[in-house]
Amino acid sequence: MFAHALLRPGICLLRLLILAAAPGALAGDGDLDYLDNTALTRQLRDLSKSFGEVVRIEPIAETAEKAPIWRIELGSGSAEARVQRPAMLVVAGIEGDDLAGTASAMYWAETLAAGYSKNEAIRRLLDSTTIHIWPRLNPEGAQHFFATPRLESAANSRPVDDDRDGFLDEDGPEDLDGDGLITWMRVEDPEGEYQPDPAEPRLMLKADRVKGERGGWQYLIEGIDNDRDRAWNEDGSGGVNFNRNFPYNYRFFAPDAGRHQISETETRALADFMVSHPEIGLVFTFGANDTLAQTPKAEAPKRPPTALHEDDLGWYRELGKAWREGLGLKKEIPADAQPGTFTEWIYFHRGRFSLAARPWSPAIQVELASAAPGEAKSGSGEEKKEESPSKEAEKEKPAKQSAQKPDADKRGEEDRAFLKWVDAEAPACFIPWKPFDHPDFPGQKVEIGGFAPFAKTLPPGRFPAKLADRHATFLTTLGGMLPRVAIHKLTAKHLGDGVYDLTVQVQNLGRLPTALAQGDLSREVQASRVILSVDEKSLLSGRRTNFLKGIPPGGIREVRWIVHAPEERPVEVEVISAIAGRARATVTLKKETL
Amino acid sequence: MRMLLFCLGICAIAGMAGTGSAGSVDRQPQPADPARHAFPALGAVAERKVTVEWNRFYDHAGLGAILANLHEGFPNLTRLYSIGKSVEGRELWCLEVTSPTGDASRKPAMYIDGNIHGNEVQAGETVAYTAWYLCHQYGRNEKVTQLLNRCVFYLIPTINPDGRDSWFHEAHTANSSRSGVMPVDDDHDGVADEDGPDDLDGDGSITTMRVRDPHGRWKPHPDFPEFILIPTAPDEPGQYTVLGSEGIDNDGDGDVNEDPPGGYDMNRNWAWDWQPNYVQRGSHEYPFSLPETRAVADFIAARPNIAALQTYHNNGGMILRPPGREGGVMRAGDERIHQAIAQRGEKMLPFYRSMIVWKDLYPAWGGEFDWAYAAQGIVSFCNELWSARNQDKGAANPTPEESALFLKHLLFGEGVVPWRTYQHPTYGLIEIGGTQKNWRRVPPSFLLEEECHRNMAFTLYHADQMPLLSLNQVTAEKIKEGLYAIRVEVANARLIPSHTEQDVINRIHPPDLVTFTGPEVKVLTAGVATDRFFKQITPVKRRPERVEIPTIPGMGAVWVQFIVSGRGKFTVTLDSPKANLLEHTQNLP
Repeated sequence: MFAHALLRPGICLLRLLILAAAPGALAGDGDLDYLDNTALTRQLRDLSKSFGEVVRIEPIAETAEKAPIWRIELGSGSAEARVQRPAMLVVAGIEGDDLAGTASAMYWAETLAAGYSKNEAIRRLLDSTTIHIWPRLNPEGAQHFFATPRLESAANSRPVDDDRDGFLDEDGPEDLDGDGLITWMRVEDPEGEYQPDPAEPRLMLKADRVKGERGGWQYLIEGIDNDRDRAWNEDGSGGVNFNRNFPYNYRFFAPDAGRHQISETETRALADFMVSHPEIGLVFTFGANDTLAQTPKAEAPKRPPTALHEDDLGWYRELGKAWREGLGLKKEIPADAQPGTFTEWIYFHRGRFSLAARPWSPAIQVELASAAPGEAKSGSGEEKKEESPSKEAEKEKPAKQSAQKPDADKRGEEDRAFLKWVDAEAPACFIPWKPFDHPDFPGQKVEIGGFAPFAKTLPPGRFPAKLADRHATFLTTLGGMLPRVAIHKLTAKHLGDGVYDLTVQVQNLGRLPTALAQGDLSREVQASRVILSVDEKSLLSGRRTNFLKGIPPGGIREVRWIVHAPEERPVEVEVISAIAGRARATVTLKKETL
Repeated sequence: MRMLLFCLGICAIAGMAGTGSAGSVDRQPQPADPARHAFPALGAVAERKVTVEWNRFYDHAGLGAILANLHEGFPNLTRLYSIGKSVEGRELWCLEVTSPTGDASRKPAMYIDGNIHGNEVQAGETVAYTAWYLCHQYGRNEKVTQLLNRCVFYLIPTINPDGRDSWFHEAHTANSSRSGVMPVDDDHDGVADEDGPDDLDGDGSITTMRVRDPHGRWKPHPDFPEFILIPTAPDEPGQYTVLGSEGIDNDGDGDVNEDPPGGYDMNRNWAWDWQPNYVQRGSHEYPFSLPETRAVADFIAARPNIAALQTYHNNGGMILRPPGREGGVMRAGDERIHQAIAQRGEKMLPFYRSMIVWKDLYPAWGGEFDWAYAAQGIVSFCNELWSARNQDKGAANPTPEESALFLKHLLFGEGVVPWRTYQHPTYGLIEIGGTQKNWRRVPPSFLLEEECHRNMAFTLYHADQMPLLSLNQVTAEKIKEGLYAIRVEVANARLIPSHTEQDVINRIHPPDLVTFTGPEVKVLTAGVATDRFFKQITPVKRRPERVEIPTIPGMGAVWVQFIVSGRGKFTVTLDSPKANLLEHTQNLP
């Protein structure tokens, strides 16, 4: 039962040693523990100690409770060399309950570190690319998993007056039945807006009055109404969900969004890191908003934007396909759309590739199970169940994509499918409803039970290495796709009398463009500079510095100068790209006919 | 006696000693401090603990010195502290002004700042003048005394001290140094701030470069050739091409002045309706990415008693209110309050017009007062100080020719930089000239004090409209022995409600609370009525001893009824974030 899973810190180093010894046999090599902050720090230290050649770790910020935020940097060579290469960032644990993302990100870091000396593809990647990993942005939130009672929360510990009544954190949940878990209460009440799902009475659905449903149940988080305001557990301890705290589509006044965009030390550290590292061209976030589970929406560009730039859609579509294929998903699964996410800030405001996916989710689990050999056709899962009543901010639900049979009641379908899997594979993830004599509801039927905390966020017990490995492979592939500028050709044609026609051709050798349409439009991905090393006097035509906007993969752009050089001499052309690295070449100006 | 001395002083100054008719006559005027012989003109006291000349501008240290002198002169009325540091480490000085009575953090507060745009300097003097005036008038003027007794003022003359000092001490145009000084690579060449304007003629101003050019489309004005360049007629040969602001191509990239210091607009860096640079130029990296804006936001957010906000800019003579963009937030009820205050302001500020930013000026995302109003629920204005109509008090903005006459006859040519030739490294022989940076956007010396006083008066009117709550009508009606209906009138004698509509809708601040306590009294039920006849009472669902009121409307009241049993003393309190904590105690009949 995962709720009682033991921490085994010793295994981390052990696994590293195994990896170092036999990097070829990664998958299935023992599943991954969920790490508390101490274990994570220890594992990071081990990693940097064992593979110092390509791994650096840095505590880049600290939470109000003094927990460190770690940054890992992977890449060979000097700091100066690493900052000039195309770079990629992976962020995990930005939602506090995302221990699975941390496990997956750490797994990738270890795979790369251990693979550098053994695996040719990994060596090539780390010699040409800088990889940044922030394995856990919200250490305060992560500690909830290890606390008793266990309460799932994506937020940090900053006291927030969620219900804006002038009191901070005065009505949090309680473990009424003493099972060590904060689960759910259902209360029979004619005012209640919920009802048991007719197809699966253990699950609750919001009553649809249009269909003549009457409800009759309240559906609440386990606890009592400490402040007697007839709202249950509406103002628990904490906090801000960092993945609702970024500027694009930010929701002021949402209880978990923070006082304003980038209001938290942790989110500010991440934002400042992005601003001071413009060479990062691609960001992958474990968490919302999913950009890979489904192809996102696109539109003709407008200001302010409300969907992807239409010219960028193709990249997203193909990367989504690659991700689903890599994970073993046969089709699109529901995408989790949320306001104020880091992912959307990076794309819409910073103009960079920004991908996000869950490291694991009930939908992924159900789909993987059904996609297994001899698969039974599963439900399409495109309709999400009504969310738990207290999670206001998560009520925005994804677009429904595939056509529905008009008569089928799809409500709760995803939960039903997941519960079926839970019953078969992880029964501890669902606590059977048991009656409880609740002091706030004298004479009313009250039951406590439902999905255990983290049941829908973390696979039970330990994180499957197989899944982490599939993600790692996808991330390694992504790193190899980053755009890279190169000088295709540099020629100097002597026109006579020391006057030369100098032509350079700049090519993008990567699999992604040197700037997305959104990068060019926002000017946040600055145009690549092509700089000729001659003084102003020698330049008869052209500018020393020239700017090139986004170059598609394989694309070639040309720049020409007319230069006067009485003596034979070498001249250098340097290309400095925002996100596609650098290149330089030299040609000697010689008075000979080519 | 004082009058007499004053007359004598004037006579002496006028060089008429010995001809006066007064009794004792000096043969020679005596050198002395004329302030000791001063008589007050209405508006400012004659006896000044702190002397400030309000006909010139002060740099950051100068403004700081004014605040420090006021704090020294009026230690009981003021607190002086810094709310944060600028990019270059200058302190953002705040003078908190209120009477020594009562808890300052529980008084309704007005926040006033200025100069968020570094070049809009008279904003600083206007805020400092407000501090100076309030301090000197407390205990003398009844209205000011009342205001300081019930309100607190947070006065921050400049929230962009780097931009201000740059404007004073370095060469600039009237429009440059709007930004702060955090480096920005405007031309995307990998280097920040490497090619700004240059004071080629060393006169402290950045003026204009022009070159004689037979293909040019400009020519000197026939009547005012030293002041004005005008475009030639479409079919007329010109004489000059205008080359832009004074400067050279410092970084040799073929462009002149394309990457000046800074490169953002602090008044586009606020969190409400923030948009990135390509949607809203100058917004910088993300909301509150700048130390100055973040310091101010943290300061305001930590003070829920702030009910009114004023920010000063220049120029144009405008009383601006949100929203900054089309479709932005301004609740109907709040719009009525803003309108009413601004309309009064138009009467107090000749040549000023009451305007909505997006509609009447231009659209702007991420402005300071948009955040103050929409995110904090504060009634907020921005004044654009100085209207050129003040030059000749005309019915419309002066024409260039009228302005030239003003420069000529009232400023005796001061402010004009005559055209001089200059050998430019890129353009060859050119001419440099135009007008100084302190012409056009800031008033001349003799109009500055008027600007300060009138705008201050507008903010004091605004401050006076902050909620003035009372608990003055508490009646206890006996239903039967031991059972009573206690009725409480919670009134607001001013225009601004205790929570603006935006505040109520989004529950920005906790609601007002009316609580009932009594050692021998039990509250059975309680409810709120919105008319005095108690026709409709909404009973609270729980905790009847603690009644939440979303807002107490401006010039209105809310009535609360407690049905209680028991006997003896009871106390009713009113706790409103934007007003004093009030308490009323009496006995049950």
